[in-house]
Amino acid sequence: MFAFSADAIPSRRPRQLPAGLADRVRPTTPVAGRLLPVPAPLAPLFPEGSLRRGTTTTVSGQPGHGATTLALALLAAASQAGSWCAAVGLPDPGVVAAAELGIDLRRVVFVPHPGSGWAEAAGDLLSGVDVVLVRPPGRARLTAARHLTARARERQTALVVLVEHVSAWPEGGDLALSVGAVEWAGVGRGHGHLQGRRAEVRVSGRRSAGRVMECSLWLPAGSGAVAAAVEMEDGSGGTGPDKGPEAA
Amino acid sequence: MEMERLVVIWCPGLQEEGARGEEARRFVQVVARAGELCPWVHPVRLGVCALPARGPSRFFGGEEMVVSRLVEAVGEDAHIGVADGLFAAVLAARSQLIVPAKETAAFLAQWSVATLARPELAVTLQRLGVTSLGQFAALPGADVSDRFGADAAAAHSVARGRSGELAGLRDRSIERRLRVARGEDPDAGPEPPPYQPGFFGGTSAADSRAALSFARVQERLGVDAVLVGRVQGGRDPAEQATLVPWGSPAGGTGGTGGAVGAGGAVGAVGAPWPGRLPPPSPTEVLRVPQRAEVVDAAGAACQVSGRGLLNSELDRLSVNGGPWESVVAWAGPWPVTERWWSVRRRRARVQVVTVDGAARLLCTERAGWWVEALYD
Repeated sequence: MFAFSADAIPSRRPRQLPAGLADRVRPTTPVAGRLLPVPAPLAPLFPEGSLRRGTTTTVSGQPGHGATTLALALLAAASQAGSWCAAVGLPDPGVVAAAELGIDLRRVVFVPHPGSGWAEAAGDLLSGVDVVLVRPPGRARLTAARHLTARARERQTALVVLVEHVSAWPEGGDLALSVGAVEWAGVGRGHGHLQGRRAEVRVSGRRSAGRVMECSLWLPAGSGAVAAAVEMEDGSGGTGPDKGPEAA
Repeated sequence: MEMERLVVIWCPGLQEEGARGEEARRFVQVVARAGELCPWVHPVRLGVCALPARGPSRFFGGEEMVVSRLVEAVGEDAHIGVADGLFAAVLAARSQLIVPAKETAAFLAQWSVATLARPELAVTLQRLGVTSLGQFAALPGADVSDRFGADAAAAHSVARGRSGELAGLRDRSIERRLRVARGEDPDAGPEPPPYQPGFFGGTSAADSRAALSFARVQERLGVDAVLVGRVQGGRDPAEQATLVPWGSPAGGTGGTGGAVGAGGAVGAVGAPWPGRLPPPSPTEVLRVPQRAEVVDAAGAACQVSGRGLLNSELDRLSVNGGPWESVVAWAGPWPVTERWWSVRRRRARVQVVTVDGAARLLCTERAGWWVEALYD
């Protein structure tokens, strides 16, 4: 009997992976091949803990509330894992902010000013990369939205749509993330500096199986990356210069 | 020692040869199908084969892609894993995981010493209360070598994630057995293809597909329409972030090397970000700053004095002549570092949060204010 036969090795798996490593291993089961990684703090927003290829995710929020941060963060883990990504319609993108979010700048292209050709550009990119983030200029026409959603599904590319309000994407997404109330930490009246924006994020949509979920996130935290928000013992959200979040 | 990163395909039902030799035949098929994807899949023992991760990963665009293509090729009965070294990669395959590089020891720690397939050693270790590879790895190397000998020392090195091969892991007769299963002459079969490093070197299929789509957008919208970000730190007093056109020789081809696309003007099209402020950085850095007005409660323009202090508390902000927004918090001012050859100017930056929760980076000079960047 060959020494390393199945009998010799106990069939029970290791009980658990050490904390930390569990976040960094990636599954290789077949369904996992249809998933793209997202930064760990955002995994709870997704039914499978990852972005599913071929789906459309809308990210919405009032200007200044961190929807751009949330949408860009969805590119971070995927680009680091080697996926090509594209961002269409983000004018004047903050490159340092992108790097702080963990985006691998070598794997991401920006098309900041596509003008009226935004949908064609997004369509071209859906055929070439693994994740496309698109910010339509205003409310998208139904035909454009349908076309891009269908192209994403056909090419098994993840489409992320950044809008002010979810109604600006008439097709609706497989998943809708919306940023609600926000609060900045670290700045007072003339002292400190911006150290993090704590935001309430709501998840809904077809693929959330009818659930509506809310969670608190730092968009971003003091390091510039997104982080989970932990309730403080006194129930406060960690505001004020002394209670800024630790670097993620 | 640098361990080779391997992808292992582990077939749960094919580990043991049954009476009719069915397992070897099915394993031959698995190896063949995997081999169609990558020329140097090699069998390790019955039910287990391996291939190097690095080359295929670059070609297919990442380890996840390699795994998903292999799953398609060999079917769902095979478990696939990736890790540094053969020993860990086999366990990774059994767990269906990709173990990140250099985290081998942490991954191995929870497995039992029985996985070493050294029953006498395992029994002795277990009598000493050492049951897991992690506990085994924690023993001092010299003690293991003195007490248990060279083979145990080799196993110890594997448990520590320092080496990937272990005597007995590979079945030297597997190639011959598979030739028999294929119905070939076992002693005079063709040699397995030699290892050809660099076969997959250079641009991968995923890179080409991406570059093609970027070129198409550039054809439609112009070379400057598709940009790649670069952050350059270093001795320069102001950390520069720029956006350069895709394909420009200034490295605008991501990680693939080699210029692609039309030869447009090379240079920075984005605003340099004078990054002396601590993170988090703003998500939108305006190439054309927006005119703004910032006043105190009395309606007088706020100013930064010669001593770098604000002369009054900020109360309201209006951008581009738009409606007034209440200021709830602000920080600064931080003087802007000027280069020695520029005319001395008194410029400063202030972070401003308005009542709607939005934060902006403003720049002020004398009584003038501009919005330079937005945090969204």
